[in-house]
Amino acid sequence: MKNLLEIQNAHVYIGSFYILQGISLVVPKGEVTLLLGRNGSGKTTTMKSILGIYPPKEGKIVFKGEEISNLPTHKIVNKGMGYVPDTRRIFGTLTVEQNLVVSMRKGSSREDMQKRLDLIFDLFPDMKGFLKQRAGTLSGGQQQMLAVARALMNENDLLLIDEPTEGLSPLLAKNLIDSLDRLKEFATILLVEQNFRTVSKLGDNYYIFDNGKIVHEGTNMSELIDDKALVAQYLGVSI
Amino acid sequence: MTMQTKRFSPRDYLEENPQVRKLLRITVVIALIIIGGLLVLAAIDVYTWNGFVVRASKSLVNGLALSMLLFLMVSGFFLIFGLCDVINFAHGAFFMLGGFMGFVIYLGTEAVFLDPALPFYLIFGANQFALSVTAFIVSALGAAAVLALIGGGIEFFTIRRLYGNPIAQILLTVGFMFVITQIVEIIWGPSQFSYFIISNSQITYFFISGLLDFGGGLQFAVYRIFLIFLGLAVAGLMFIGFRKTRIGLLVQAGIEDSEMVEALGTDIRKLFTIVFMLGAGLAGLSGAVLVPWIGANSGHGLTYLIFAFVIVVVGGAHYGRLEGTFFGALIVGLSIQFTSYFIPFLENIIVFIIMAIILIVRPGGLTGHE
Ligand SMILES: Nc1ncnc2c1ncn2[C@@H]1O[C@H](COP(=O)(O)OP(=O)(O)OP(=O)(O)O)[C@@H](O)[C@H]1O
Ligand SMILES: [Mg+2]
Repeated sequence: MKNLLEIQNAHVYIGSFYILQGISLVVPKGEVTLLLGRNGSGKTTTMKSILGIYPPKEGKIVFKGEEISNLPTHKIVNKGMGYVPDTRRIFGTLTVEQNLVVSMRKGSSREDMQKRLDLIFDLFPDMKGFLKQRAGTLSGGQQQMLAVARALMNENDLLLIDEPTEGLSPLLAKNLIDSLDRLKEFATILLVEQNFRTVSKLGDNYYIFDNGKIVHEGTNMSELIDDKALVAQYLGVSI
Repeated sequence: MTMQTKRFSPRDYLEENPQVRKLLRITVVIALIIIGGLLVLAAIDVYTWNGFVVRASKSLVNGLALSMLLFLMVSGFFLIFGLCDVINFAHGAFFMLGGFMGFVIYLGTEAVFLDPALPFYLIFGANQFALSVTAFIVSALGAAAVLALIGGGIEFFTIRRLYGNPIAQILLTVGFMFVITQIVEIIWGPSQFSYFIISNSQITYFFISGLLDFGGGLQFAVYRIFLIFLGLAVAGLMFIGFRKTRIGLLVQAGIEDSEMVEALGTDIRKLFTIVFMLGAGLAGLSGAVLVPWIGANSGHGLTYLIFAFVIVVVGGAHYGRLEGTFFGALIVGLSIQFTSYFIPFLENIIVFIIMAIILIVRPGGLTGHE
């Protein structure tokens, strides 16, 4: 099985709004797939429909060869997905450690937890220092580390990461991208990133969204960067 | 040239003049102390010094006992509201039904152990104390369990279908309030009737019925002192449960962002049902252990629902703060008891007066934001 995840012609509504108008994409195992596109083009909605938060009205989503389109969210993620949402959504009243504890699936053992923590501290050594701190008091960069760490508390096959560098300084953003680069060896990644240049070395495949449709796809990030017309049409800053 | 028609705003003026604000604050504090002092002096004048001390200490003990139990009851209301976003209008009715369950289960347990035809007859023999303690524990846990099942059932079979539809939820829980009250009134009659354990008990003995007598009219019902400690103990257990157990942490996280909790792999619907059971169970427990003091009465449903609202609003707990319910419960419980001893004609409206004052001074409640 080459593709870990497949979306086949998904039509997604939020309430009565028709948001994703028949999208199809594949996420090959072991690779990083990028979702690009302007604000409001449907990237976050795509992630949420994979997660079953907005299940598709029509079309199929297949994960590890199994259709998941009609399962409840917790059953979907328990098949091996970790989610890092766009606005971090860490639990501010809990400590960092408690945030990690509630992210671990039922039935995980102490050894499991230690193993996961070792990996997390390896990626983000700073986290050791603020493990006991209330998450609501963390800086933006620390919160983002926590949001990623939460998704690493279980042995996941697929990580859904939505705009991880948003609101971070260029240096912090670069560090985070480096960490994600190292994550590639542990999991397949589906990544949304506005600033596609910062992740160009990371991405193996990309899809460009516009108005709820996929308008372009490819496998060569440097070709994309050089394609000025395409960039201006779909990824340029619109004023 | 344009006309400057800037209207005078006291708030802006105070904002710009910190010294005046400071002075004003000091004046208000002094005025409050003087008013309080005058009230105390007036009370001493009316009731004599001795009478004042007796009333004040009774108000304090009763007030603390009531506060602790109100806290347990409202914690349930708060949890259901915080996690599931459901305003449970049936919560007072859960509490009231918990009272009747406590009453019935207590007498039932007693009857089982006193029935010579049953094999339990000899267990306690003539030991009325042991019998009464057993009946009390069974009644408290039993009432909590019955209400937990009712609450869980209501969530599972009805409310579950209505998440995200607040109007329907309100109508539904109000409906359950009426249904429960009606059923209770069919069985036990309207709110003119209160049911007390001692006057209905076969052995007319309750394990804590004494008075702690310090002479000079300074007497305290031991049971109410017991209630203070019982309430504190349950509150402490709850507190530890929240901090130290996975499920407690999940509930806290869910109060912040339930969709995210589910996206991390927890069956949030199951958690909702558990919290409904816990919340209704707390209402049942507090109702049952208050029965030896206030009796079981079908009118308690509405009264305690209103207390729950006032406590949540006064404490600022609607911002998701459990401490808020604790302070709110203390204020409501103490003020009810103090007014009942000192200004009896205000007893039934004091909570609304306090709520109005606090909301004017701090619109977000005690722990809430401005
Ligand atoms: N809860 C909602 N109700 C109605 N419309 C919504 C809702 N959430 C998103 N939308 C709409 O769906 C469309 C796609 O939104 P989405 O969040 O998927 O975009 P995005 O590509 O992630 O954008 P961004 O880069 O700003 O995060 C937008 O037009 C947005 O207005
Ligand atoms: Mg988005």
